[in-house]
Amino acid sequence: MHDTTTGIRIEGLTKIFGSGDSEVRVLESASMEVKKGEFAALVAPSGAGKTTLLMMLGCVLKPTAGKIWLGDELVWDENRWSIPDTRRIRREKIGFIFQAHYLIPFLSIAENVKLVPLANGWSDKRADAKATALLEYFDIGDKRDAMPAQLSGGQNQRVAIARALSNEPQIILADEPTAALDMQRAVNVVKMLRKIVEEQNVAVIMVTHDERLLPYCDKILSIEARKIVTKHQIPKQIV
Amino acid sequence: MINLASKDIRHSFAKFVVTAMGVGMLLGIVLIMMGVYRGMISDAQVLLDDIGADLWIVQENTLGPFAESSRIHEDLKDTIKADPSIDKTAALAFLNLQLPGPDGKPTRVYSVGYDPYGDISALNPKRLVAGRTLRHSHYEIVVPAKLGLHVDDKITLGRNVYTVVGTTKGAVSSGGEPTVFFSLKDAQELQFLYSNARIRNDRARGLRTETDNHLVNAVVATLKPGYDPEQAARALKRWKHLSVYTASRQRAILTKNVIETASKQIGMFTAILIAVSSIIIALIIYTMTLEKIKEISIMKLIGLPNVTITKMIMQETLVLGLLAFVFGNLFAHAIWDKFPKRVVLQLPDAWSLFGIVLVASVAASLFGVHKAIKADPTAAIGG
Repeated sequence: MHDTTTGIRIEGLTKIFGSGDSEVRVLESASMEVKKGEFAALVAPSGAGKTTLLMMLGCVLKPTAGKIWLGDELVWDENRWSIPDTRRIRREKIGFIFQAHYLIPFLSIAENVKLVPLANGWSDKRADAKATALLEYFDIGDKRDAMPAQLSGGQNQRVAIARALSNEPQIILADEPTAALDMQRAVNVVKMLRKIVEEQNVAVIMVTHDERLLPYCDKILSIEARKIVTKHQIPKQIV
Repeated sequence: MINLASKDIRHSFAKFVVTAMGVGMLLGIVLIMMGVYRGMISDAQVLLDDIGADLWIVQENTLGPFAESSRIHEDLKDTIKADPSIDKTAALAFLNLQLPGPDGKPTRVYSVGYDPYGDISALNPKRLVAGRTLRHSHYEIVVPAKLGLHVDDKITLGRNVYTVVGTTKGAVSSGGEPTVFFSLKDAQELQFLYSNARIRNDRARGLRTETDNHLVNAVVATLKPGYDPEQAARALKRWKHLSVYTASRQRAILTKNVIETASKQIGMFTAILIAVSSIIIALIIYTMTLEKIKEISIMKLIGLPNVTITKMIMQETLVLGLLAFVFGNLFAHAIWDKFPKRVVLQLPDAWSLFGIVLVASVAASLFGVHKAIKADPTAAIGG
């Protein structure tokens, strides 16, 4: 049964690449749930299927079987998308953060942040106010008119997080967002995500290899033998 | 919504403008080719329009002086004038010459001989840029200004020395060659009179050289008001052993029989250039889309709809096409007068090319759009 606190939920999720001799089973009847206001870390060895899972949750990659709920919406039902426009789901419900910032190079920082809200039909005034608030929140308000090439890697990663939050998502999917940062900056980014989880009641799944960042999470999801194992923990309080 | 096309263009403005200039130069060459084609058609009619005759009377069973060799007697102009439908007549002689330029280098010219005292002048006074038209029966010549000769310059042709009395602009033959004007008598002499050496040689061979320099290549006539050219032509043809063409028929002979092959060749070349330009525009737009495929994948990944991405590609394509068209026109207008033969740039041709560029650009952008729509969002993150 579905409950209103659900952020992300999967049931019996299976992903098989190829067929016959070249068949690769990445996930097999995997299930898990991350509630709204929960920060989950996804850990597994390379090639275990972390990014594959994230792409399926982001409605980019089709699962082979199973069910996916994002918030109160069943988006994948066994063998088909149950929603006509997967891109609308991404635009309206999901914020993506990647290892690299992947900002649009020909748009200014503020325009990068405003892009998704504007595509969602927000007025320019509302989108601009949101972008200004987010950029100031991440302490880069003075860079709003700069181009991505003019900012440092750390600054661009903060812009990428601001962009992920700009559409007021219910879900944030972060694929190794700290991999390119030094330890201090990595901790800062994770603290920032922790704060967002608490303040905005979003569900976050963060893929990471760095065990030092795990204490900030509510639960740790690991892929073991093509299944997802969930371990709950009390997160470290941020000061 | 942010106009992504304008942002992208601004971001790589120099590259975009240089690309548009490159395509523009190609389009400029297409425009010039169209202009060369128009120039050929225009040149073919210059002499006809300047003479302004209603009827062209030429040797029987020939197409006239521009298409075939034609020789008739000069006095036919008086006989023909006796017809009640005829208002004015004139005898004309046409021949090709190598005219020595001021540096001694010969230039091929088309010569027209007309009677300076006659009823119809072959030289349109509006084409004069210096000097005057012919006033004497001998030893005067009017030349194109671009040959570099000036009024009062002397030219030796055949047995005689001619004085330049006027220079013209835009006087060309049906083939686009510069046209010079002599008196009819001088033209007849140049065309029909053998040199002294040739006459002596003929006499030594026992041949009796008779030169009739009262031959001309055509007689032209204008009609009195109210007479139908077709009827008048038919009457003259029946009455004399001659071929008679109306001005419109002579024009058709020129454009169909004389320059048709050449103009078809230019037309074919223009069509190929247009096709090549379209392919190049398509390739450039496709490459421009490929260069942005990562950004397009990111846009798709963060949920931007296809219509936003398609709009960006289409708008950039149209701006490129428009800019290239403007550059093409500027380029064509900058170089058109450097060509040795007439280039006529016409607005309808430019608009036609604009239409073709527009269609080619939109068609080309469809390849880019197809590529963008097919782009895998996960390609953005390499997963």
